[in-house]
Amino acid sequence: MLYREAGQFKSSYASDQAIFPIRQDKIGIALILVVALLVVPFVASNYVLNSILVPFLVFSTAAIGLNIVTGYCGQVSLGTGGFMACGAFFAFKLTTAFPDIHIILIFLLAGFGTALVGIVFGLPSLRIKGFYLAIATLAAQFFLIWMFTQNPWWTNYNPAGVITAPPRALFGDFYITGVRATPVGKYLFLVCFVTILALVAKNLVRSALGRAWMAIRDMDIAAEIMGIRPMMAKLSAFAVSSFFIGISGALWAFIYTASVEALAFEVTRSFQVLFMIIIGGLGSILGSFLGAAFIVLLPILLNSAPAMVGIRMSTELLTHLEFMIFGALIVFFLIVEPQGLARLWQIGKEKLRRWPFPY
Amino acid sequence: MSEILADPLPLDGDAPEAARVFDEVLLSVDNITLTFGGVTALSNIGFDIRKGEIRAIIGPNGAGKTSMLNVINGFYHPQQGKITFKGEERRRMRPHNAAKQGIARTFQNVALFKGMTTLDNVMTGRLLKMKTNMFWQAIYWGPNQREEIKHREFCEHIIDFLEIQAIRKTPVGRLPYGMQKRVELARALAMEPELLLLDEPMAGMNIEEKEDMSRFILDVNDQFGTTIALIEHDMSVVMDLSDRVVVLDYGRKLADGTPAAVSRDQKVIDAYLGVGH
Repeated sequence: MLYREAGQFKSSYASDQAIFPIRQDKIGIALILVVALLVVPFVASNYVLNSILVPFLVFSTAAIGLNIVTGYCGQVSLGTGGFMACGAFFAFKLTTAFPDIHIILIFLLAGFGTALVGIVFGLPSLRIKGFYLAIATLAAQFFLIWMFTQNPWWTNYNPAGVITAPPRALFGDFYITGVRATPVGKYLFLVCFVTILALVAKNLVRSALGRAWMAIRDMDIAAEIMGIRPMMAKLSAFAVSSFFIGISGALWAFIYTASVEALAFEVTRSFQVLFMIIIGGLGSILGSFLGAAFIVLLPILLNSAPAMVGIRMSTELLTHLEFMIFGALIVFFLIVEPQGLARLWQIGKEKLRRWPFPY
Repeated sequence: MSEILADPLPLDGDAPEAARVFDEVLLSVDNITLTFGGVTALSNIGFDIRKGEIRAIIGPNGAGKTSMLNVINGFYHPQQGKITFKGEERRRMRPHNAAKQGIARTFQNVALFKGMTTLDNVMTGRLLKMKTNMFWQAIYWGPNQREEIKHREFCEHIIDFLEIQAIRKTPVGRLPYGMQKRVELARALAMEPELLLLDEPMAGMNIEEKEDMSRFILDVNDQFGTTIALIEHDMSVVMDLSDRVVVLDYGRKLADGTPAAVSRDQKVIDAYLGVGH
């Protein structure tokens, strides 16, 4: 079965505007979901689940969030870490204050809270652009982390400044946070939750709102002529983006690490997510996943590759080598395909469409 | 002396376009003065645009034509003067308010959304008319999908009208220049404007592309009844298309009238060809 759309004719606008208009895409996505839900939980080890798949899914959510404001709306943001911290601490405060509220609702509320913070720190984007905006959002990063480390109220007066996720069940006995949560349970919850979030993001960017964001990104003067209010478009992008990033921060604190301090969301975290969307592809939901996979998987691969081929190395040398190769690969990727992995996929698609004929 | 201006017209008779008569004033500008620091871009300009006509704004480089469009559009705020649109005096406003009132525009240097497809570009023209809220957009199905399909259908009519069906899924950054200009016109038309401002729609085109574009402009005016204000340097195009012409030079108004009258005006001829000393 070849991957090509030739011969699939659309007879209604609805089918032409479908989220996956190509039949093979539909089959592919369904297959991935089936494998992720039915096969992976049985074959993957706890290590793979806990340290590869769970962080991959959490980072994907953050990357989708940043991609909305930076990739789709063109507003560079370096405040990702700060917004993730917001989500984590909001969720912690909410669930300790109201233990009866369902955990999913807690995550969503934390996301909405972060969205409000995002709107406030998105205000400078109405006047400044590009690098200058990046610096302004850096202020958000430092201010928020400062607030969470300096104010013990946020950690419920924990002497170490650490928040620990209390046990919360999705339903009945199915715990997804706390000590009774199993890696498989966490993973299954994340797959479903992140899939829904990704669908929401995809729907937004292919609707009127997404078009307004992209218009602002590509040519803000023309966008204004079309009747788009720059303030509404930019602030809504910041809000939606922060919503996703806040949820990813809450997922990070509650499901991935289970206990976390504010310094885990330092500026390096912001850069990490920024690298993900640059490598994965700006303005692409698929790219967010690819970029997250690249950044999460590559260090692990580099780490274990020498052992696989039978070379013994000291841990220190390995760590330094990992950094060097990682950096070199990023540079290589940016030169070969500045538009990211998602673009490579796009090019591959177009090639397959014509293959094996050159025209 | 007057070759450039007068050639396309038979100097003895009236231009055929002059037969069209328009009474209702859609937009009028009075005594507009616009300065940037010490530079006066426009001084005391006044003219009107009547409903249904094709109005050309011409003048040598730096005459203030684009500034005039920017004033009508709400990008620039004149220091003096007033603008009346649809019988109502306009307050100081932003460009998106002008869009809401029914003024659409294309740009001298193509200002398309480069990362989006032709179809998405045209669909942005419908944004003002799309009303579903963010919640439904996140779910997509239901009201949002119905609305998307309704507006898609409208956009497809415009795509058909401008004969750009083949490129509807192509990112506009990859299109040739002439096509980009056409997509920009499509995007402006998707707004169903009452007044369409075209800033040099034929700049940099070859003769076939110019002919196509002229045909589209006349068709738009004819079929949709859209009032068009157009800036153009190609005099043969201006003389053939427009019902009335206003001539600017150094921010002042030189002449205003039918193409035939304007092309015989000595001041206009002097402005274009220079004055002998």
